[in-house]
Amino acid sequence: MADIYSIVTSRKLTYEQKLNALAHAAEDTLEVIPKPERTRYYFEKGVICNLNEGQAPYRPRYIMPDYAKAVKNGVRFLELEPPTDFDELLTFLQILYRHVPSITTYPVYLGDLDQLIEPFIEGIPDDVVEKKLRLFLLYLDRTITDSFCHANIGPRETRAGRILLKIERSIQQAVPNLTLKYDPELTSDSFAEEAILTSLYSANPAICNDPANRVYDHYGISSCYNILPVAGGSYTLTRIVLPRLAELTDSYDEFLHVLLPEALRCMADNMSERIRFIVEKSGFFESHFLVKEGLIERDRFTAMFGLVGLAEAANKFAPEGKKYGNDKEADDIAEEILAAISDFAGAYEAPYCDISDHRLLLHAQVGIDTDYGITSGIRIPIGDEPESIYDHLRHSARFHRYIPTGCSDIIPFDVTGKQNPAAILDIVKGAFRLGQKYVAFYASDSDMVRITGYLVKRSEIEKWNKGEQVLQNTTQLGAPTYASAHLQDRKVRGV
Amino acid sequence: MKAPVRKIIGQSTVDGPGNRTAIFLQGCNIRCAYCHNPETQPLHADDVEMLSVDDVIEEVKKGIPFIRGITVSGGECMMHQPFLLELFRKVHALDAKLSCLADSNGTFLFSEPLLSEVDGVLLDVKAWDASVWKELTGSPTNEVVKQNLKNLLLRDKVAEVRIVCLPKDGPIQTDVEAVIAGVKAVASECGRPMPKMHLIAFRPHGVVGTLAETPMTSAEEMRVYESFLQ
Repeated sequence: MADIYSIVTSRKLTYEQKLNALAHAAEDTLEVIPKPERTRYYFEKGVICNLNEGQAPYRPRYIMPDYAKAVKNGVRFLELEPPTDFDELLTFLQILYRHVPSITTYPVYLGDLDQLIEPFIEGIPDDVVEKKLRLFLLYLDRTITDSFCHANIGPRETRAGRILLKIERSIQQAVPNLTLKYDPELTSDSFAEEAILTSLYSANPAICNDPANRVYDHYGISSCYNILPVAGGSYTLTRIVLPRLAELTDSYDEFLHVLLPEALRCMADNMSERIRFIVEKSGFFESHFLVKEGLIERDRFTAMFGLVGLAEAANKFAPEGKKYGNDKEADDIAEEILAAISDFAGAYEAPYCDISDHRLLLHAQVGIDTDYGITSGIRIPIGDEPESIYDHLRHSARFHRYIPTGCSDIIPFDVTGKQNPAAILDIVKGAFRLGQKYVAFYASDSDMVRITGYLVKRSEIEKWNKGEQVLQNTTQLGAPTYASAHLQDRKVRGV
Repeated sequence: MKAPVRKIIGQSTVDGPGNRTAIFLQGCNIRCAYCHNPETQPLHADDVEMLSVDDVIEEVKKGIPFIRGITVSGGECMMHQPFLLELFRKVHALDAKLSCLADSNGTFLFSEPLLSEVDGVLLDVKAWDASVWKELTGSPTNEVVKQNLKNLLLRDKVAEVRIVCLPKDGPIQTDVEAVIAGVKAVASECGRPMPKMHLIAFRPHGVVGTLAETPMTSAEEMRVYESFLQ
């Protein structure tokens, strides 16, 4: 109760943030998900962690509505007719976004934005489209106050996509996160170069390897960089914190053959229980208008089997002085651990995950603000990055192939990169050809910085650190992470 | 076959289009007043390694598939033509899509079989007028440069024309406007579009001799030079 009192009386939280924190505290008074003894043990040790998902989940964690279908058919529950012109479209989307639930209480996915817009701007001059879109994006940034929110563009170049990039370059807004789905067969070089150049001004968009990420018939990128089925999503994201599991033993053999399988089973069983609660008990799929109107379907939901800190776990068991990202011995151990997790997930049958053949899908979880000395997902620790960006990306490609629901590299580029975005695109093309799946750039002097996947302004971090209120929830997560994960020390790639 | 290699940069974005591996060969036949790396002029230097074509190929391989090609610079890369030919052949054998560019001062004639093997030349056209050329480079004539310009344009192998632009009030002058007009005339004579013109501002960093104390060409002056391209 002391917690609740401190939420109510906080000077640092906005009204809205208090409301969300109180709802969360109320949810956590319930205990409806069974936790057998060993599961409880691994939770207490911080080995299994569900990222504050709540004790009684009453909606899937990530929801990816089929916005194209909504635009085509309208939404009866919201009394919205299908939009007939550009103004109607933008208002339609603003209203619909407002009613899409998620773990953050805000929509984590805004759709293939360029494709939604393109048919509505025919015959409207660029400057008019730009003005309206600027206001639309301003509205999103100031009302979706959590940057775990993602819009997609591409893979085909569109006028709407070009205008969105032009606006992005001149604004510094954390919402929405933007990703270009890039397919060398479908995306023009000039559009991709424009996207890369834009990212060196505003840290947006990130670049997604489209062919390598087509896990489902229609996927979207949501939240940080989650690759999930459109018209579905993910019930839950739970993660195994590998370095904390590694702390429990000094024997690699025991780690790999005893503790890891047990912890994975506890985690998978717990996720299954959460899924069952959402589907069978919460009433979400029987009552929500998104389901009733076919904008999401229960059988298009899967669940994300997260892992974090592969580097530290591998380094612990590697020969003295051998490091993940630099030495074969450590990399081979890491791959053995990752393959074991992948094999487990490939054999475990999870309920209600029809879209993924009843499997839990691996996700390289980016970490949270209270992780100290734990590197995001399968990334190379900051400070250990190989001298050559090529070696770095080759390494990523080797490990990315195990991860279907999202993994990424974040690379700060020297400002001189702005002189030659074509050269950066060459590097992206090479990386994607090798199987690297997703990369995000920002300029080393940018105010906007990518924390672990989401965007935060350095200037907002400073405000929060001084005890001032900040609009974006994610600034509160980003501020401690920026410091504790030493993000300012990321290796800046030059040209 | 070996050549003196000053350095290899695995990831260069300033030596031709896209991302490239840049190889700097030692030795230059002329002595430009504005040369910013005069240490590369002598053909032999104690701190320069003799590398075989295969040694260089190993370095190039590290960049595949991230590079669009290679650029050989210098010094003056054309002082090592047999090396260049073998290197380009081996790079093309690795992957025919990799482009092989030469960054050259144009004082050696590009001829067969190298002319067929090189995919493009970053061609310095430092001066148009012979006397300006002589003062700037110490070399008697720029006739070969002009001949290369014509030959390479006819083969569509001018990746870009490079002109270093000196400040107007320095001790030595360049005839940038005449170079641009000259290139334009040759291109039109060849029935080819104007090649990409790359105007480079003079920087005193690394320069020795007459221009060592001359300040960098100002942005304002560069705008004037750029206007000649209109």
